[in-house]
Amino acid sequence: MTSSEKLQALQADIDLFVGATAETRLESLPSWGSLAVLLVILHCETKHGLAVTSAQIRGCATVGDVLQLIPERL
Amino acid sequence: MHSSISHVRLAGLAVSTGSVTRDFLSDGLALGLDRAMLEKTAQTIGLRARQVAAPGITALDLCEDAARRLLDAAGLDATSIDAVIFVTQTPDHAQPNNASLLHGRLGLARGAAAFDLSLGCSGWVYGLQQAALLCAHGGAARVLLCAGDTLSRLTHPKDRSADPLFGDAGSAALIERTGTATAWHFELGADGAGANAIIVPQGGARMPHDCKPLPEIPDLDGNVRHAANLAMQGGEVFNFSLRQAPPAVAAVMRHAQYTVESTDGLVLHQANRFVVTSVGRKCGFPAEKTPSDVVERYGNQSSASIPCALLHAFGDALAARPQRLVLCGFGVGWSWGAVAAEFGPLVVAPVQSYPRP
Repeated sequence: MTSSEKLQALQADIDLFVGATAETRLESLPSWGSLAVLLVILHCETKHGLAVTSAQIRGCATVGDVLQLIPERL
Repeated sequence: MHSSISHVRLAGLAVSTGSVTRDFLSDGLALGLDRAMLEKTAQTIGLRARQVAAPGITALDLCEDAARRLLDAAGLDATSIDAVIFVTQTPDHAQPNNASLLHGRLGLARGAAAFDLSLGCSGWVYGLQQAALLCAHGGAARVLLCAGDTLSRLTHPKDRSADPLFGDAGSAALIERTGTATAWHFELGADGAGANAIIVPQGGARMPHDCKPLPEIPDLDGNVRHAANLAMQGGEVFNFSLRQAPPAVAAVMRHAQYTVESTDGLVLHQANRFVVTSVGRKCGFPAEKTPSDVVERYGNQSSASIPCALLHAFGDALAARPQRLVLCGFGVGWSWGAVAAEFGPLVVAPVQSYPRP
């Protein structure tokens, strides 16, 4: 799965990523916060079978950093 | 840990909730929070109303009310109970345990056993397993299992990650020895690595209350709490639930030889609608077999949430005929408990608030 495909999957699943690019800073997204972290955890688990922690997501600065949590091979 | 226990039945069930209704939206607006953000959270997580205990009412009071209503409905005398188990993390006192206090209040026979289990959201299944063991192998013919908490008292009103979630309730269930050999299949487990993910740091022996003012500490999201408040790492708790509950559900279904199609319902700990639907979907159950709306009326009731969901979603059916059910609780301590069993017909005392108007 390419980075672009991962972004499309994220946008299809979570409204707040619509219109974002890999360079978009998470803190600039409207309603970025604990609720959004839960949605990303659910997305990674259900769409990619991947367990990511909220600490990993909190450590991300940009949407691209979130996408990098998902390995390319998935 | 797996166990299969036969020659037991669930004979009755009752739940008493707190009597004070708290509304998520109006509580948030009163704190000055943005209406659109509140509505978005309510829609996504499934937060609406919750029932919390009136001042002075404890989990012991709520469970006593549930137990009295259940014994009345079943036409039983308290002296017919051989043991009482009380699952709670909000007991009346550090000593004695709630079970002994309830033993006295209900007038159980001298010699009836009484003990507490310190567990939260997984606690009802743990308690059910202990009650079943007492009936099957421990010399008891009838066990009263009470489970309840008043977690709403432990959260800080400015901690929006925890305070809007919790309701208060107490449950009572009767478990009896029976000639029927059909087994209940349990899976109990824990992972102490996550024990700090849901914690009330102060108030136990490690960090006793010392009468000093408790400094309020904000987190990255602006939530505020102090050391005697319940602190929950929501993301980690959610991750744990997604990771741990489905294998436990699958294991008990495999032992019971249940399929999704042959099971009447999957009743999960009602953490919130978001968690219930996410975990239920990962367990392979359709939404119509996984009640998730209970929490929107009552809040997260800790160890009383599964019995409340049972009554709310399956009460009429359980009163009338056997139901093949899978139950799973998960939470504090990083503990989980699942059971696959046929319950019913049984005596049902409906969900009521206490004290009643």
